[in-house]
Amino acid sequence: MDTPASRSVYVAPSLTSALDALDEGGAAAAPFAGGTWIMRAPIRHELLKPRYVAIGSIPELHGIKIDADAVEIGAAVTHATLAAALAELSEFNVLTAAAGRSANPAIRGMATIGGNLATTAFAAADCVPALLCLDAEVEIASRGSRERIDLEQFLTMRSTLAPGWLVQRIIVPRQERKTAHARLPLRQAGDYPTAIVSLAVSLDDVGRVQTARVAVGSVEPVARRWERLEDALVGHPLNAAKAAHAAAGLADEFTGRDSTDVPAWYRVRVLPGLVRRAAAALGS
Amino acid sequence: MGLSLTVNGDHLTSTADPITPLVDVLREEFHLTGAKPVCREGFCGACMVLIDGNPTPSCLMPAALAEGCDIRTVEGLAVNGGLNPIQAALEACDAVQCGMCFPGMVVSLTHLLTTRPGATRDDIRAALTGNICRCTGYERIIEAALLALATT
Amino acid sequence: MTGDAKVSDASATMNFRRRDAADKLRGRTRYTIDRYLPGMLHAAILRAGVPSGRIARLDITKAARMPGVRAVVTAADAPGMIGIGIADHPLFARDVIRYDGEPIAAIAADTLMQAHAALAAIDVEIEPLPVVLTMADALAPDAPLVHPDWRNYEVLLEGGVRGGNIAWEATVVRGDVDAAFARSDVEIIDSSFRVGRQNHVAFEPRAVVASYEDGRFHIETSTQVPWTIRNATARLLGVPASRVRVTVPPVGGGFGLKFDLAIEPFAALLARASGRPVRLVNSREEEMLTCLFRENAEIRIRSAVTRDGEIVGREAVVLMDCGAYGGEQIFLTTMTAHTLGGNYSLGAVRLVSRAVYTNTAPNGAFRACNGVYNTFALERHTDEVAARIGMDPLAFRRRNVLGDGDLGATGQVFEGDVLGPMLDRMDTMRDAAATPPGCDDGRLYGRATVVGTWFVFVGPSAATVNMNADGTATLVTSGVEIGSGSMMQALPQIVAGTLGLSPHDVIVRAADTDAAGYDVGVGGGRTTVSLGAASLSAAHEVRTKLLKVASEMIEAAAEDLVMRSGRIEIAGAPGSGRLISEVAARAQAQIGPISGTGAFTGAGMPAMPGCVAGHFIDAIDIPVFAVHDCEVAVDTETGHVEVLSYRVVQDVGRALNPRAIHGQIQGGVVQGLGYALHEEVTIGSNGRVRQNGFETYRVPLALDVVPVEINLYEGAPSIGPLGTKGAGEVPILNVAAAVACAVANAIGKPILELPLTPPRVLELLLDQRPTLSLPHIAEAWTNNLLRPHKTDGSN
Repeated sequence: MDTPASRSVYVAPSLTSALDALDEGGAAAAPFAGGTWIMRAPIRHELLKPRYVAIGSIPELHGIKIDADAVEIGAAVTHATLAAALAELSEFNVLTAAAGRSANPAIRGMATIGGNLATTAFAAADCVPALLCLDAEVEIASRGSRERIDLEQFLTMRSTLAPGWLVQRIIVPRQERKTAHARLPLRQAGDYPTAIVSLAVSLDDVGRVQTARVAVGSVEPVARRWERLEDALVGHPLNAAKAAHAAAGLADEFTGRDSTDVPAWYRVRVLPGLVRRAAAALGS
Repeated sequence: MGLSLTVNGDHLTSTADPITPLVDVLREEFHLTGAKPVCREGFCGACMVLIDGNPTPSCLMPAALAEGCDIRTVEGLAVNGGLNPIQAALEACDAVQCGMCFPGMVVSLTHLLTTRPGATRDDIRAALTGNICRCTGYERIIEAALLALATT
Repeated sequence: MTGDAKVSDASATMNFRRRDAADKLRGRTRYTIDRYLPGMLHAAILRAGVPSGRIARLDITKAARMPGVRAVVTAADAPGMIGIGIADHPLFARDVIRYDGEPIAAIAADTLMQAHAALAAIDVEIEPLPVVLTMADALAPDAPLVHPDWRNYEVLLEGGVRGGNIAWEATVVRGDVDAAFARSDVEIIDSSFRVGRQNHVAFEPRAVVASYEDGRFHIETSTQVPWTIRNATARLLGVPASRVRVTVPPVGGGFGLKFDLAIEPFAALLARASGRPVRLVNSREEEMLTCLFRENAEIRIRSAVTRDGEIVGREAVVLMDCGAYGGEQIFLTTMTAHTLGGNYSLGAVRLVSRAVYTNTAPNGAFRACNGVYNTFALERHTDEVAARIGMDPLAFRRRNVLGDGDLGATGQVFEGDVLGPMLDRMDTMRDAAATPPGCDDGRLYGRATVVGTWFVFVGPSAATVNMNADGTATLVTSGVEIGSGSMMQALPQIVAGTLGLSPHDVIVRAADTDAAGYDVGVGGGRTTVSLGAASLSAAHEVRTKLLKVASEMIEAAAEDLVMRSGRIEIAGAPGSGRLISEVAARAQAQIGPISGTGAFTGAGMPAMPGCVAGHFIDAIDIPVFAVHDCEVAVDTETGHVEVLSYRVVQDVGRALNPRAIHGQIQGGVVQGLGYALHEEVTIGSNGRVRQNGFETYRVPLALDVVPVEINLYEGAPSIGPLGTKGAGEVPILNVAAAVACAVANAIGKPILELPLTPPRVLELLLDQRPTLSLPHIAEAWTNNLLRPHKTDGSN
């Protein structure tokens, strides 16, 4: 029980009370969702915050609302819950796979979608590229204010977000599209993927790609869209081999991150193969 | 003040700091040493307990957040001191070696047995992604799970 | 050892279940980490944060005044030095830091948090010194010395050559190797290999609870070697060994990690200083950074082979990184003779193994120690040899494997044809198997069959069997249950078989150095053999005594009596005679309780005169052989290797508990798959191991393994009790060899390094892996020796 005695955990019953507590706590406070990142602070030799505001019991953050034109996901929804809720909606295969195959079963039952987006230091988050390719938006809230921004924009500002802000929900527009998630752990499963390719395309009447979204995770410190590859896919029938070939020609725009277990070059080198797998999963 | 926790049906009080990992409260305050803190990162599963019925690594769960939950540890799974079906199958298959991972294995597999009666060999392997065993090479554990599924 | 007398009337062979399973499954078993004593203090260790330096200042006065602190100990409290072969290792860094993580001070406090807070209050200043992190660094001309005072260390075993950063050098020379290589009819094949470290990842970390009572230390610890802990602790603390008592609760995994002293003396010192029980448990990060890893090694093998496949000459250099202190690697230099020099019949041979000091965490023993990487190197080299002379690799092996009357590297004569028939048996298994599905998915497929030679590490063991008047027997040894089941299955089965009891009626006493005699420890496949032989001998003495009493009771000659099913009766007349409990009760009343003692040690197989220098054992008393076969598929896009099938034929002598042995084989193979494919240890430029937890150190998970197809080969000669050999250590021996050879066959490129992680395999597929170069291994074999091989009678 190696923790100083001065810490506190406030279990917020409502969003308002959570935002109040975060506001009052300032820099000394942080939201606590699934805890699967925060509780591992000791192995990273990081200090815990003096005050945590637990948001896991807030009903407003637990909803998954599936409408005709959008899906809204509360920030405290766990990976397991999300994967189960979207399992029947094939347009969300990418997100179902991201949420349903990350980490291990018990972690999926704890880790939240909001935590996945908000943890700046976690480069291998599965849901981030999946949501990027779905054009997701993020609603963030603080005491007295609320903002809805593109996920891409959120990713650029999340590390500098002032204390007191909280991811409240994620909004994913619905449209006719085919999606797939290709991830590459070093073992069969159970570790963080070395690289992730999330793919979403819509096809025209003759099977040509009308719109394409490709997002790449874990390769660089922050997941991002691969717009040059998207452009290369549009206007052609989706073909896994050709998509991989195009990816191989464009992969040099990525600067892989080096880590203890995976060298930088490897993360980039496997991208065309992951693109091929993702495209092949769409039946091409 | 203190924390009120319900463990294996007993109402217990802890004086631990609220963010203390549940595994430490179970072991050091409640003397329930079945759950083992092995990796403290949620990878190994040796500290797995059921929180409201869901397998949860107790190293990642702050004690304060377990208040109001039904916590069931490996010590609470055996019925009247006997063995539950998965424990009995693991014993019958001579699966146990050093035994450190088994409290967590038993928790994960007890859950599997009750929630997924049709689980296949591959389902079992996937369900054990977060339960590491360093001794057995898993085969006997998978065999035992299949045996328990077939006989319950 | 029991002469011509009949040893037993009941079979000891059975799939007897282990008695500790039910409590382990219910979370009731109390391992060392689960022991919390009243009034117990919690201890923590201050460890160096640099790999090399001089301690300029160490002041504990402020720390000692911190809240809750009950004792602080430092190098001043532990005057002794320990080691294997040479005493080079103090408990605490004294003036010099030799590795990142080296202990500097230890503190016991009321809570662990207080102990950690007090550690931070220790005032320590370390001046950096030059660093050698790799064996190449350590062997460079004018390299800084890890132990500048190496000449002054006490030598515990004469005969090893030492010098500078070479902690120990062992050599084997048999025959005229130069002449063999000079022959005109040979091909010369030269291969180099490099392997990294492996962490045991025993789930129970090193842990101890120590107390100081009536002037003696009581150490409860998670160890494989209670007597080593007793003796080494005493030596470090400068107290008589008789003042140390070691007891061992169930151990949560060993694999060799706990075959050496660990953190016990810190807790002992703190217990004496505080007068309170002290608990000390390594954090997982401490385990990851300072475990006594399987050592990293660099190997060069050259062979002179005729075109029809005769190995006329072989020479090799093996560099083994011992880290900052010699430890187990000094002993393991001996093993190269039997691992690299094993498997095949060789004309002339010369081998040198060098344990090299570096400023890194000390290495240690790990299941089939030096055998795992030497077998990898030897089997990969063997494939290269076969390819060069254009012979099928299996045919080449069949031609050359050790058989009856063949000479081993050190000149011992092997008895019996074992490997040959085992290869035949593997053929049968392989032929009977279905072809694995899906060979047209774009992946590359490969298979390999490899052989391996290991041994049983015999040595002294003692046992006592007490016959109880209720018809049960109590077996008292210093054996430890580390998970392998030998103490729960083989040993009670041996005693029960001898006495005609059910093994359920044999009580097995947990290790206590105050209760049982000396024992080398549980490891090296020796439990069933050495402890088993001592137990068999003790049980036989009980049997003889019981039969004598029974003979009077039943009025029949002792030699006409049998012991089975809990009865002593006249042979051929079931139901005659008496219950064993009746005989035991009668004996107790008439002559006092019956007990027997037994002892065992190795036979001490000799080497050929002049053959070995610097060796701890000359030859192997009980060789153990293994044949492994593996099929793999390699993904060319990602470098992922999938093991499709795995088969083992293992020489077990005699299988007392076949099901338990199968469990050991499955588990050992999977640990080997981890070593071959996933488990990587690297050391940063700061001298610290980079894999500090389970995120980066990846052991196999349930989805990564296959069921191993197993065939137990019985009947090979063994001096083990009832013809047994150790079966738990060897399963890991040739896994890396099998996988590496299969992957090499799949991708058509040599595999020279392990582990075969996806990035490394992809580099090979892309021809981007830099050629392995080991310039610190001299071209001419003799230039790798500190001084020429000689045996001056000191060995």
